[in-house]
Amino acid sequence: MQALDAAATDSPEVQAARRIAGAAPGEAREAEAELYRLLAPRARRYGLRHLRDAHAAADLMQQVMGLTIERLRSGRLREPERVLSFVLGACRLTVMDQRRGERRREDLLQRYADLLSPADLHVAPRLDRQRLADCLERLPERERSVLVMSFYDDQPSEEVGRQLGLSAGNVRVIRHRGVDKLRRCVDAGRRAA
Amino acid sequence: MNAVSDHLSIDVLLDYWLHDSDPATTDAVDEHLMRCDACGELLDGLIALGEGVRGVFTAGAVPAMASDAFVQHLKGQGLRVREYRVPHNGSVNCAVAPEDDLLVAHLEAPLQGVERLDALAQLSIAPDVQHRLQDIPFDPQAGEALYILKTAEMKQLPDHTAQFTLLAVHPGGTKELGRYTFHHQGVAGTAVDRAR
Repeated sequence: MQALDAAATDSPEVQAARRIAGAAPGEAREAEAELYRLLAPRARRYGLRHLRDAHAAADLMQQVMGLTIERLRSGRLREPERVLSFVLGACRLTVMDQRRGERRREDLLQRYADLLSPADLHVAPRLDRQRLADCLERLPERERSVLVMSFYDDQPSEEVGRQLGLSAGNVRVIRHRGVDKLRRCVDAGRRAA
Repeated sequence: MNAVSDHLSIDVLLDYWLHDSDPATTDAVDEHLMRCDACGELLDGLIALGEGVRGVFTAGAVPAMASDAFVQHLKGQGLRVREYRVPHNGSVNCAVAPEDDLLVAHLEAPLQGVERLDALAQLSIAPDVQHRLQDIPFDPQAGEALYILKTAEMKQLPDHTAQFTLLAVHPGGTKELGRYTFHHQGVAGTAVDRAR
């Protein structure tokens, strides 16, 4: 993770982390809000990918951000310039904890409930369902089937291929082609609206 | 917004999201996403697209060819799936009830040796229109083509007869593999009860 820190030496995240670490505990509220705005969506994505549950991902995001801010306030995160690798490491540990069924996040969530508001997080725009259905139906049968079976339960190419008599490589090619067409079609509808 | 010059391709993000990347690549993508909002937002878009596909499919808004294992998985997840098995060159009385999520047709056919499969679909309520489904995916070992119908639309249709014809497509032409007739009852009633 050294590359992660090296790439972010003077990034807005590191600047915010430095301001929090350099202030008296709880006195750098703007920097804390800025750090939260920058890093919470990334922690949430990590949670979505590795926990596959929106609520669990939101919990992970809150827990990791609470821990990060607490460590910066108390000086226990001694190198604020390593805040990105700290957050990624905390995400990984939290996912491992959750997989073990451990639940020790309630205290952090309660202590930082006022600060950790998800209100201003970036969320992907909602899709026009009718438009999406139309675009999906326009795809060739093979592409539509592969997309439905891939996305219904986020299945890897090998599993989809096994069920359809296709190789994993072939599924990935079909999947790529289908996603590309679908995105273009949905985007064209969004621009026209 | 954090600026990073070497952005991830959509293929890498798709593989990452759908468990197709190896552990080292997954770790590298995790790290990249921790510093790159542009790629993160691209991933958000893919996730939303996937959720949308799942949503319109489970709403019965799009048809799809699939596998029996996939249909059993859907049932295991609590979807109400009504299935009809049609023997080779056979027919079936069928219907769909309001509470059904998906309507599935199993078309039994000799698929060994078939390289490409097409299907023709024709409804008695629109006799001048013939739909051709091209290059539909199938498992030759399964001995059937499995079609998940556009269930939401089926619920609106009146009594009619639908005919499906499976075609094996070879470089030299096409060969009819089987013909299947569905006598569809538009209002949920006795046919639904029998199918259960």
